Amino acid sequence: MPTEKHWQDLITFDALEKDWVTSAQIGKRHFAVYQTGDDGDEVYVSSALCSHAGAELCDGYFQGHLIECPLHQGCFDIRTGVAVSAPAVRPIKCFECRVEDGVVQVLL
Amino acid sequence: MTVKIITPITQALSEGIITRQQLRELMQRSDAPPVKRLGLWALLLIISSSLIWLSRDNFLIGPAMFIQGVLLVHLFALQHECVHYTVFKTRYLNEWVGNLCGWIILLPNLHFRYEHCDHHTFTHLRGKDPELIPLPKSLVGYFWYLSALPYWYGRIASILRHSLGKLTDEDKRFIPVTERSIIYRDARLMLASYAALLAFCVVLGVWEVLLYFWLLPMALGEPVMRYIRLTEHVGRPHTADMKHNTRTTLVSAPWRFLGWNMNYHAAHHYASSVPYHALPRLHELLKEHVHVEPGGYWGAHKEILAQLTGRQPRCDEMPQQATQE
Repeated sequence: MPTEKHWQDLITFDALEKDWVTSAQIGKRHFAVYQTGDDGDEVYVSSALCSHAGAELCDGYFQGHLIECPLHQGCFDIRTGVAVSAPAVRPIKCFECRVEDGVVQVLL
Repeated sequence: MTVKIITPITQALSEGIITRQQLRELMQRSDAPPVKRLGLWALLLIISSSLIWLSRDNFLIGPAMFIQGVLLVHLFALQHECVHYTVFKTRYLNEWVGNLCGWIILLPNLHFRYEHCDHHTFTHLRGKDPELIPLPKSLVGYFWYLSALPYWYGRIASILRHSLGKLTDEDKRFIPVTERSIIYRDARLMLASYAALLAFCVVLGVWEVLLYFWLLPMALGEPVMRYIRLTEHVGRPHTADMKHNTRTTLVSAPWRFLGWNMNYHAAHHYASSVPYHALPRLHELLKEHVHVEPGGYWGAHKEILAQLTGRQPRCDEMPQQATQE
């Protein structure tokens, strides 16, 4: 039976690297947090590892809404998690998130 | 569940060799610098093509075709950067230019991309790295490799195999099942376009153009690329440790220009998301932590030749260390 999801604090908004990706964690779970958009007001959260070989996405190149794996440059759209270029073919998991009182929260 | 692996750059960040801010600055991309660089390369190609045309009735056509060939085979370096998406900021330009380069030098882009990804995962590990160039057994083997004849045989055989809808066992290791039809399509398109171009030139009575400006120059130039490719890993220990398995070779500006700075090979393997123009700066940060050959390409070849003539222990007779699973 699925457990009920709750909003959980992940990282303060001010701690995010502007127009870039920041690493964050809750307990032992690691996440990649992206701040982007013309006004810097878009925030997205995904799993921290590339679905292809397990490299740390937070050390990759970020542009617009695309995060690139630092090892093979497999690429994902962080709005949906969809893999947009080889060698990645499986999506990464993206999480519903929001900013409340200056804190990025994720629904887990 | 995805299992985490530690990439060289993640390791370097954790060891404090490089900071996140430095890495972010180094990874920045731009369209203008590569366009200018490509423009200069195209100008050189126009000059070398003119030399071929002007020397068509005398022996100087040989050296002119060699110069043209050296320029053409260095499209490999540009294609290599494109498969990493680090040449142009505009993502699809990397794919277009990579495919065009691959078409010219007979290297289908998507297949190369998949193969090259495995090369970065299993760099210089025997039985795992699909791009591993074995240390030649003898001087004969060394010159046979430099002739580029085995290279061309492998290239043509690979395209023909894929056009027939077949893959080697090695191919199957790194090409996902869902992508195989694209690999076959690419090879068929490549062969069909070559055939169409040949037919077009025969009909117009200018088939020699293909021979003198493209195919013969590439055959003459490819040994230079083989000479360079040997310097990247051959003779280095077969270990997963990036500090030892890859060689950065310090070379003069013309070679750096032609090779899109790929002589900074260890730096490239450390952080393959860093574009060619930032590799010299990355090298400055990493140079105490990687193997650097200061004596240019010949310096690297002296190490290789010492191993295959018995003056130094052969890298392939040492136990393979710490394979990456």
